[in-house]
Amino acid sequence: MADKSKLGMEFSPYTFEVEKGKIAEFAMAISQKEDKDQVNPLYVNREAAQKAGYRDIIAPLTFQTCFPTWAGGGLMPIIQTLGINIFKLLHGEEEYHYLGAIHPGDIMTGKAKVVEMYEKEKKDKPGKFMEFTVIETEIRNQRGELVIKSRSTLVER
Amino acid sequence: MAKEIYYEDINIGDAMPAFTSDPLTRTHLVRYAGASGDFNPLHHDETFVAMFGMPRVIAHGMLIMGITSRAITEWIDNKCLKNFKVRFSGMTEPADLVDLEKTKARATITVTGNVVKKFAEGGENRIQCDIQAVDALGGVKLTGSFIAALPSK
Repeated sequence: MADKSKLGMEFSPYTFEVEKGKIAEFAMAISQKEDKDQVNPLYVNREAAQKAGYRDIIAPLTFQTCFPTWAGGGLMPIIQTLGINIFKLLHGEEEYHYLGAIHPGDIMTGKAKVVEMYEKEKKDKPGKFMEFTVIETEIRNQRGELVIKSRSTLVER
Repeated sequence: MAKEIYYEDINIGDAMPAFTSDPLTRTHLVRYAGASGDFNPLHHDETFVAMFGMPRVIAHGMLIMGITSRAITEWIDNKCLKNFKVRFSGMTEPADLVDLEKTKARATITVTGNVVKKFAEGGENRIQCDIQAVDALGGVKLTGSFIAALPSK
């Protein structure tokens, strides 16, 4: 069960350097393709991206999910710190606010904070509760510009 | 890549173009694990999930959100997107290659959506589209919405 005293807790920031190979790999994975020439050219082709009005290649809408896993040690340390039972854990909701683009060479820093902890009674099991933990992350680039705000809701069944 | 769409061309109730994935296989899950860095064995190790009495590994919820994002950006250019949110409601089991024809329906995801709102915010003309991702058996995987700022003519 999540430790309610952790409400408001801020995690150590992580830093992730965006490489164009990682963007291509991610784009292929969500596109179910084995070749980067088969995915949306905005994710793999600089000329195509510039023609569409971007400074450089851009990242897919959910790309930032790989920042904490590859740069911040992943979800496990967060789960352990919060006292969440991994065997009861579900990913309930995910939300992104987009404030700017992500390009190869950008150095992204993410700061995550526990912003809500609450419980809800199970509809099918009165007297039993599900626990919710909401983590918000601000992701900035090397110029300090806020690029993405994310909100993840973790649920313990 | 999305074609340019103008605010004036969109009406409340309009459907976004439906998008259907390939049947998800374990290989797709492994590729996504590597790309995303989410190596939870729930998504690739059948001996692990057997400990919970689960018959099969399940897809990452974030892979289904990624497939949903692809449906969106084939219609609306990435730079128009302001907000994208989903609530996960059902697990997705991959198809079994030994019985692909009978098992692919549970692993084939179709994303649909409808415009529910047109509004001005931050000096921009925005639309809200409610979306859902559903397998070919009718099982809902996620519901959600996105908000996009569209250019005017």
